[in-house]
Amino acid sequence: MYYNKFKTLIKGLGLLTVLVAVFIVSPLSAQDVSTGQAKANVLAVLVVTSEADIEFGDVMQGVPKIADKTSLTAAGRFKIVGEEGKEVSVFMQLPDYLWNDSTAAGGASDEDRMVVAFSTTDADLAFTDASTPAVHGANAITDQDPHNLSEVTLGNGNVGEQVCWIFMGGRVFPTVDQRTGVYSADIVLTAAYTGN
Amino acid sequence: MSGYRVLTRHSSRMGWRVLSLSLVLFAILATELSANVLVAPTSVILSEKQRTGRLTVRNPTNKPVEIEIRFSYGLPVSDSLGNVKIKFQDSLVTDPHSALGWIKAFPRKMILDPSTSQIIRFLARPPKNLSDGEYWARIMVRSQEGKTSIPVPSDREGISTRLNMIMQTAIVLKYRTGSLLSKIELRNTEVWQTDSSVIALIDMKNRGNVSYVGILKCRLLDARNKEISQDKIDLAVYYDLMRRVELPVTEGNFTKPYKVEISISTDGRTDIPPQDMIIGNKIEYVATVED
Repeated sequence: MYYNKFKTLIKGLGLLTVLVAVFIVSPLSAQDVSTGQAKANVLAVLVVTSEADIEFGDVMQGVPKIADKTSLTAAGRFKIVGEEGKEVSVFMQLPDYLWNDSTAAGGASDEDRMVVAFSTTDADLAFTDASTPAVHGANAITDQDPHNLSEVTLGNGNVGEQVCWIFMGGRVFPTVDQRTGVYSADIVLTAAYTGN
Repeated sequence: MSGYRVLTRHSSRMGWRVLSLSLVLFAILATELSANVLVAPTSVILSEKQRTGRLTVRNPTNKPVEIEIRFSYGLPVSDSLGNVKIKFQDSLVTDPHSALGWIKAFPRKMILDPSTSQIIRFLARPPKNLSDGEYWARIMVRSQEGKTSIPVPSDREGISTRLNMIMQTAIVLKYRTGSLLSKIELRNTEVWQTDSSVIALIDMKNRGNVSYVGILKCRLLDARNKEISQDKIDLAVYYDLMRRVELPVTEGNFTKPYKVEISISTDGRTDIPPQDMIIGNKIEYVATVED
């Protein structure tokens, strides 16, 4: 009898949670979910987002171009959201070159490359949801080496925050005879909780 | 009485499952719509009795997302200052506790349409005569926009660039077999005071045959046991781990000498379902801060 009552109660609770999730919570952002028992379980999910690419804009032959990590239009932006106060290991794979690969007249592949570099101070870490490349908010960690990022604590002591922004800049070095066209490469950001 | 106990255990398990399922759904729905992909749960546990597992990947954006699943090997490792990193290794893994090579994922590549989910299934096919213990791998969920926009130079003869930002979430996968032991040893502890804080450097060694997953708590107390500050860290010790904990010395009427109360335990991890936790030993230690 106790078992049946308990079973009914659990089913009811489960159904209620699902209904609350579907009808009330879905319009909210991750930051809004932070109450009660649900908190630790809900926010244990780790979400990594690319919010903006690093923009060098148009590049001229022989003229190095900088994408400033504090520029709203040029800085690359990664966002990591998880459980407040949890540690996340962050690792970046950065390219040495941007590649242009097009097929020349006659069908032959014609490839060229452009040097891209990231200095030891090209990354800033910010820990409030409202952070921007220009305004980081409290407890930001600036001038980090993107090749060697240390572990980060989501929110980094900012109460109610469960985010880590990574703002990135870089430089490209086109040669004087750099072929015109579109050059591209990949930046890979890997994130993992260190506590499990 | 014994029947009552059985029913209670069964009810508790069922309750946890219902609640977990609801919370995963809750998490998925609660995530910002700008997110690229969402992966849940944050760890996958397989065993000789349960050789299959699953992971849910959801695309909450309004653009298609290209997903690739692969495996890597990576454990949290620390340097001499107590900084922790996960060092990933895709090949030449010599650790006998690596599960790389005998875990399969289905499917491994997909394009997720906007607001859709995909369940990824995992199957363990371990070699025979595997020693008791735990075997590890990392599930790498790689995602990028399904259709990338190619920049067009404003000048027809110009040069333009594009850096594709690719995201990877590394989820731990553990395979357990045989008799399991979760045990940790505190090898060494150093504490010292700086201008505004007390630093504790805690050196731990795993003496079990599974990863020790728990919580490290540190409390800074004064001579009268009045708490000055505290901190706690989720802990995963696979082999050795050194952790640095900084405890602020706040303003107050505190009496020296200070001491740091250290507690290591597998209790209190709410982010891991109880059935996946392996209860281990508990360590409590007090270190005095020298002036």
